[in-house]
Amino acid sequence: MGSTIAEKILGHHAGGKTVGAGDVVVAEVDFAMLHDARAGNALKMVEKLGAGQLPFASRTAFVLDHYSPPPHPEAANTHRAMREFADAHGAVLYDVGDGICHQVLPEGGHFTCGDVVVGTDTHSTTYGAFNAFGCGIEGTDLSAVMMTGKLWFRVPETISVELKGQLQPGVWAKDVTLTLLGRLGAEGANYRAIEYRGSAVAAMDVDDRMTLANHAAELGAKAALLEADEKTFAWLKARGARPPRPVAADADARYCERIDIDASRLAPQVARRHRIDDVVSVTEVEKQKIQFALVGTCTNGRLDDLRQAAAILKGKRIAKGVRMIVTPASRQVWLAAAREGIVEALTAAGASVEAAGCGTCVNITGHLITGDDDVVISSANRNFKGRLGNAKSDIWLGSAATVAASALTGFITDPREVAGGTWRSERAAA
Amino acid sequence: MSTVIRGRAHVLGDDINTDLHCSSKYLPGKDNAYIAQHAFEQLVPDFPARFKAGDVIVAGKNFGINSSREQAVHIMRAMGVAAIVAASFGRQFFRNCINNGLPVVECDITGIDQGDEIEVDVGTGRVAVPQRKIARTVAALPAEVQAILAAGGLIAFLQKHPDWTLERVSSDR
Repeated sequence: MGSTIAEKILGHHAGGKTVGAGDVVVAEVDFAMLHDARAGNALKMVEKLGAGQLPFASRTAFVLDHYSPPPHPEAANTHRAMREFADAHGAVLYDVGDGICHQVLPEGGHFTCGDVVVGTDTHSTTYGAFNAFGCGIEGTDLSAVMMTGKLWFRVPETISVELKGQLQPGVWAKDVTLTLLGRLGAEGANYRAIEYRGSAVAAMDVDDRMTLANHAAELGAKAALLEADEKTFAWLKARGARPPRPVAADADARYCERIDIDASRLAPQVARRHRIDDVVSVTEVEKQKIQFALVGTCTNGRLDDLRQAAAILKGKRIAKGVRMIVTPASRQVWLAAAREGIVEALTAAGASVEAAGCGTCVNITGHLITGDDDVVISSANRNFKGRLGNAKSDIWLGSAATVAASALTGFITDPREVAGGTWRSERAAA
Repeated sequence: MSTVIRGRAHVLGDDINTDLHCSSKYLPGKDNAYIAQHAFEQLVPDFPARFKAGDVIVAGKNFGINSSREQAVHIMRAMGVAAIVAASFGRQFFRNCINNGLPVVECDITGIDQGDEIEVDVGTGRVAVPQRKIARTVAALPAEVQAILAAGGLIAFLQKHPDWTLERVSSDR
């Protein structure tokens, strides 16, 4: 019987053993991440462990992205403590404005294909876009990793998702995940890993692959793994990552479920208010008026997302009565967008382009307060009631292209119906 | 060492988000003692008043879903929760319980009622409510996980076994 990617990576890291789903292993970790929203608890746990030496600190990144910028002295004090701790123990520090943890870790070249990467955030599944076992953990886990460089894992069962055919222009990885959420339900992959494969995944650029892996967290996935290819290797090499150790699944690997999707038949999707798995095609809800449009977050705040928005809004003006906020996922994304004229195009169209960070994903910084009955269309990953600070307003989710098309018209709009809405990156089109 | 836990069952429903009902995520600045006095009261109004140390939480599917702050488990330990039996758990919540020495068992909860005397044996994988003639066998927790639970959690375990002698512990059994 063959092995899945998750079984192989965890087996390699547990002393080269053959392991199967359900086994519990102690595995070596290659890189770890702690962000500011979990730092209070995690640093307490490190202290409780009483570890004088933290040999793994140099392979741990502290990322100040959620409270960015800090909205109250407590958050500013957490940041201060994180900076001091990182300095004292030699951890890698990403400060306010550098970007979101799941963007700066791969950009910083901190891990490569075949690695085990853990972070204090459910969206740590993002690292699977690079064929790494990326997995969310909590503070006690992090303290154990910082002291010993190892952690216990239950080897997950794996769901294989094959995306056959090709996504049509105007349809993105976000729409694939929303489709899956509609089918499997929120937490439908709880405890399990997902392997994404197929011609539509091969055609995706790295930015869209990161969306696919990231958004698997909403399915409850423990990890979301893609096989590596030349695009992966070139991306990692350009960012100084260690030489890749790519891991592919065996042909006879055992999957708990196999899902085939004809990507060429998918249309833009939205999750309706409050429930991430209440998913419909955009065309079914085009009479829905919106007041806020948000492009950003670890799910869809990358350069290709900003390019989608700019392709639709360049030389135009967003609808009267709509407020639009764009938050690039990292400083590098922000700078690239500025060089391409995207920041100018979006700002001229009426959007506010903010400093990089978690932005308006959740009401932490207080800089997006919605009014009662306001409707938000967002490229974020969660739309729970009250997530933006007002339980009387609604959050809908869609791709960056759907958000930009909706900002343009003032109603939820299929990006394929507006000029520029079928933009796709040159490499993916080639 | 006996691994049998006996306590009174407190029944909660499906899809309980512990961030919402047992953490300060939405109550910034409130300490653990305050949150313990209000834990789960939006679901069961007299839950905090009725819950006594040594009691057992019985819940439906996906107990502790979503981002699952570890603080929820710290508060449950402080409340004296002896074990949690649920149809299924959120992944991170399950980890947090093991890491903090709180026994968790995945088990069909059909027929278990509020106030029942429940027996939970994580070692052999058994859940029973003798008064209702319920006796269910479930997958026993792996020996490695039991070793962490027996130590009282991952930090206590690593203080005794800083080199993760977990596998050796399990092969000794």
